[in-house]
Amino acid sequence: MTAPVAGGPFAGLRHQLTAAATAFADSPDTLAGILAGMIDDVDRALAVPLEIFPVCHHSPASALAVVRRLREKQPQVIYLELCEDLRPLLGELGNCRLPVAVQAFASELDGHPSEWGPLSIVAPLTEASAEYQAIVYALETPGVELVLVDRSTDHVFQWLPRTPEAQPDGAVQAGEEGGRPGDDAALHGDAVGVEVGDLRPGFAELEAYLLHHGKVRHWSEWWDQYVEQPLADADHDTYRQVMVLIGSLFRRLRPTHSERLDRDEDRERYMWTRMREHLATSGVDPGRCLYICGAFHAASRVEQFGLASDAPGYEISPRTGTRWRYGLIPSSHSAIEAQFGLAPGSVSIAAATWTKALKRSGLTPYRLEGQRGTRTRGRDGRDTAAPATGPTDRLSSFLTAPPELNGIDEAELRGWCVDIVRLARRNGYLASTADAIAVYETSTLLAGLRNRTRPTPYDFTDAAVTCIEKDVVPGRRDVRRLCEILLGGDRVGRVGYEALPPLARDVLERLRPLGLDLQKRTVQRALLDLHADSRLAPCSDLLWMLRYLLPHDAVRPIMGERRLGHRSIQESWDVALGRNQRALIELGYEGVTVEQVLEQRLRRAVRGPQATAAGALAAIEDAIRLLGSPRLIGELGTRAVELLATERTVDDAPDVLRRIRRLLTHHRATATALPAWCEAFVAAGYTHYCTLLPSAFVDEQAGVRQVGAMLGFLFSMENLALSLGCDRTQLELAVAQAHPEAPAKVALHWAARHQLGLLPLTELRDCCAELLANPLVVPIFPQYLSGFVQALDPVPGLASFVVELMSTAFAQLPDPILLPWLPTLITTLREHGQELVPLLIREAAHTFPGTLPALDSWEPPWVKATPAPAPPIVPAGPVVGLLTGHPDSVDAIAGLLGCSNPWQRHAQPGRIEVVALLARHPDTAAAVVDLLLVDRTTAVVAQR
Amino acid sequence: MSEMLRAPVEVKYADELDYLASVDTDPKPFSWRLSPRMVRLFVLGSERADGLDRVIPQKWFGDRSFVERSIVTLASDRGLLLLGDPGTGKSWLAELLAAAICRNSTLVVQGTAGTTEDHIKYSWNVSMVISQGQSRKSMIPSPIMTAMEQGVVGRFEELTRSTSDVQDALISILSEKYVSIPELDHDNIVFAKPGFSIIATANSRDRGVNDLSSALKRRFNFVRIPVVTNKRSEAEIVRFRTEELLRRHRIEVEVPPTLLDILLQSFADLRTAAAGATSDDEKLESALSTAEQIGVLEDAILHSQFFGDRALRAETLAGSMMGSLARRSPEDLAILNKYLHGVVEPRAKQDGGGWEGFLDGGRQAIAALS
Repeated sequence: MTAPVAGGPFAGLRHQLTAAATAFADSPDTLAGILAGMIDDVDRALAVPLEIFPVCHHSPASALAVVRRLREKQPQVIYLELCEDLRPLLGELGNCRLPVAVQAFASELDGHPSEWGPLSIVAPLTEASAEYQAIVYALETPGVELVLVDRSTDHVFQWLPRTPEAQPDGAVQAGEEGGRPGDDAALHGDAVGVEVGDLRPGFAELEAYLLHHGKVRHWSEWWDQYVEQPLADADHDTYRQVMVLIGSLFRRLRPTHSERLDRDEDRERYMWTRMREHLATSGVDPGRCLYICGAFHAASRVEQFGLASDAPGYEISPRTGTRWRYGLIPSSHSAIEAQFGLAPGSVSIAAATWTKALKRSGLTPYRLEGQRGTRTRGRDGRDTAAPATGPTDRLSSFLTAPPELNGIDEAELRGWCVDIVRLARRNGYLASTADAIAVYETSTLLAGLRNRTRPTPYDFTDAAVTCIEKDVVPGRRDVRRLCEILLGGDRVGRVGYEALPPLARDVLERLRPLGLDLQKRTVQRALLDLHADSRLAPCSDLLWMLRYLLPHDAVRPIMGERRLGHRSIQESWDVALGRNQRALIELGYEGVTVEQVLEQRLRRAVRGPQATAAGALAAIEDAIRLLGSPRLIGELGTRAVELLATERTVDDAPDVLRRIRRLLTHHRATATALPAWCEAFVAAGYTHYCTLLPSAFVDEQAGVRQVGAMLGFLFSMENLALSLGCDRTQLELAVAQAHPEAPAKVALHWAARHQLGLLPLTELRDCCAELLANPLVVPIFPQYLSGFVQALDPVPGLASFVVELMSTAFAQLPDPILLPWLPTLITTLREHGQELVPLLIREAAHTFPGTLPALDSWEPPWVKATPAPAPPIVPAGPVVGLLTGHPDSVDAIAGLLGCSNPWQRHAQPGRIEVVALLARHPDTAAAVVDLLLVDRTTAVVAQR
Repeated sequence: MSEMLRAPVEVKYADELDYLASVDTDPKPFSWRLSPRMVRLFVLGSERADGLDRVIPQKWFGDRSFVERSIVTLASDRGLLLLGDPGTGKSWLAELLAAAICRNSTLVVQGTAGTTEDHIKYSWNVSMVISQGQSRKSMIPSPIMTAMEQGVVGRFEELTRSTSDVQDALISILSEKYVSIPELDHDNIVFAKPGFSIIATANSRDRGVNDLSSALKRRFNFVRIPVVTNKRSEAEIVRFRTEELLRRHRIEVEVPPTLLDILLQSFADLRTAAAGATSDDEKLESALSTAEQIGVLEDAILHSQFFGDRALRAETLAGSMMGSLARRSPEDLAILNKYLHGVVEPRAKQDGGGWEGFLDGGRQAIAALS
């Protein structure tokens, strides 16, 4: 580390500040230490032969100073504080329209906790940034080398503490604060942001203090007023010294030994080690290099700082095995603001300030040749380089000079006032010229009240809100938002075709027959007549795949659908790929073609730890719909069988049933034989659900719908399962072992027993009648009814009985019981209407009268007078013969029992033939007699 | 001052205003008694960096930009309309501004359904008219007209409560800056002197009672005052206002910080619940404003002073809170009961402290109200 010079150019200032601290501060030692330390930092930074150029992110003053310095110095090597592995991408910037973000993305993690995945880092670039100007200078100037020296993206996550809430240092998670929800603000997704020159107070209290005393509302405003404006036209030395001073101030006023500071210092060690390595290997003169970093790092005190340090290089850990992919994604001002917690509109204001400053100063910025939106080209910087001079104290004059009075830019403010009124009127406000005058006056007054020499955009915004905003916002945008639009508005970048990954380019190529400009950010309508133009069929296939892979608003079918066994002949799509460029580019990190990515995604869906059988069946459906690859379908199907066999819950049973039914129907309709996986799935499912059935009937966690679906699977696939070798006894045993207690499940159990032939309908009816007759059970009768409703699917033969029971319930149950249950019934039928309602309606239509007049005479079939049961037909035989031959005893017993009905005698016509037949072949009757233990001899006599 | 139950701001803070006027070197608009910066300083309090010899306490708590926008509006050609929920400090800010700008905050018209145009312009002393005829002597100027004549700030409280035709009487006053008196043959126009302006307040919840006409809206700059949700600021407001009220009642009861925390936390909880409610029945009828917190605390202190042991207890605070917030039965009672059992009870078990007493007091109050 270079020691500060005891005398040196800043000795006078140091002495002045120390004296002031002694005179005014309560504890002069501390303050004097801080002030003198800041001057030492400036002194040390300026003494390094490798020129350190401190910058702040999205600061037009920094960008202007960099442009001036680059033109003046013509450095051969530029060291930049940016992740070193992003370097190869920078050459592609020429194909993009700014703002764009350089992205590193990793979905397959090796060495990082898997729950962090996918990892994504973005470094947004705008034209009004120092780093972009430096990059363009290096790319456009022959012989200039650009070296990124900050830790790699892999190290960003390597250095992250292994805690769930951990955040990378110098990196910000999107949307932490200040973000405005909206399309463009979400352009970075949930990526972590890194930027050159992060410069903010190290702790919240300091920032709050600065804002409070600066009489501003947010950090961007403070920076603009107290740093940006004074430094906008400053010369190189002043700019550099002041920026290092500010970096040093924030560095010294931050908690010592904080984890974040440690990480920042590690980054500084990393950067200095990389720079020293490069200088050693390239042999370039340090005086011809420029190190562009955040002002915070310019005031570094790490041991590796400077070139004269003897400290050993920082030991850089190797990268993990994580495979990083790199690309450029579109960014926007609002996305940058949301990412880095800047005030809404601040980046737009910075962009406007940059344009204005360029015009005022006549400076030509660096722009990449061929870049979209380029208006002028940067000068070739092969002028003569300025000779290096020693540092001189510019701080003293800067700190003691009064603020420069630029005067109010009346024309600009007047233009804003007129424009905001016009914009407000267009957005439904009743604004007039009087409002423009009021806004002008109020802006000026506000600026005066806030100690500003001229109204800033923030004063203007406040004034416009005060004068134009009333009690309600008439349109979609309020006045504050309109001001943001007026002062530059959000600008959204675009990644050019050449800079897109192969997959994205492939997609654009394959969708070319649609005849749309897919790079546009608008939503475009594509009409596909697949019958008329066969070239559009591949486009349709691709769109359906993109529909599956991209966010839902990227491609949206308006007309047409693709489901199992169905393809539309005409389709209409809303395509917004330009707006979802980031998603398309990120898709490109996963594979080379859409088909490959889709296949990977489907495989991942069935291989993940959370995979379920229902999910696997869904993946199979998607594979059939979108890819149609029998190999993949077979693989997914095999996995589905494995998943089903290992599942221990029946939560997904309804979904499994619905999907496997659909798949079976599809395969039966399209192929001569079922695929092997289908048969295996049905056989495994039959056994699986038979095993789980008894516990599901009593398990409180398993709902009645789940149990109903299990029964549905078992009954509706029984034939196929039995043909595949399953045993029906297993099902009978399972039903016999089930002893449900919940009323709905009891009803289901009855239905299952009925289906198996163990419970005749008459007994089932009796059971229900008993329930209705028991006043203690009546309150929970609706729950039984719910069970029967769920039984409609597994036991469709019970539909007429369910209709009967429901009618009975409606007729007999008292309102206080019936009414609370009705919403449950309605919601159940509504939710599962597709399966239950048609059956119920059909049966009800069959049961109830179809016309109103018929209702008067209608009688429910179940309450019709049932005919008296026919006397049992007694089979002819020896016993019958005996009794009919000697009826007296039977008559006497009947008389004793009070039974007067005459009993049937064999002498009745029609029975004679039977008697004759029996007489001719008495052996059968004799055998029966034996069985009944009746004396054979008696029987024969009686027969004769 | 001692004879006044509630002294107006210019009387109460006369020393401060005199001091600020004495050190004020900045230019003053019109007939203002203080420059805009000093007005802001009077309202928002001084810092060490202001370099004053004495500390000026903060009197209104809220975003600095609201005060700045209000001040510059009064320095401009337009009237100021402070809009916000009940209890957000609109009237207090209006009074502070009027007192700081012209040392007179008492020229107030209270908007009600019974407010007539006479209350805004002028009326007549009937006996004098009978005896002497109509003249400027027999005319009774309204507070607004007085403000015009003196070139000071007039206030109009609850503007939207007065009817539309009455509101519209302000249009000409704000536009032409004069009021004509057609009953008089000469000296029949009262012109506003420089410095005249109007501060009106309107309750955003009552906006629909008598909505302002577009013509009148155009003549006002709207400053919307939001409900304070910052806990620290709210604590300051409650402490500041409660101390003032108790001084008025000559009561010296210490408010334990834990109880103040409980009060703030419970209001914050109830606000969160109200924000998540999907129907009016699921949220309290109360706006849960800072003013209501002050009311609850004042009520609890008075109760402790006169019916308790002269020390504020959590039970008393809970009783006052339930009593103030339970306006509808059973809706409000059900919400408060749910809050007590769902939020306060677990907190009492976990944290203990004042929350246990708060829970007991709340239960008793709910039982008594049910």
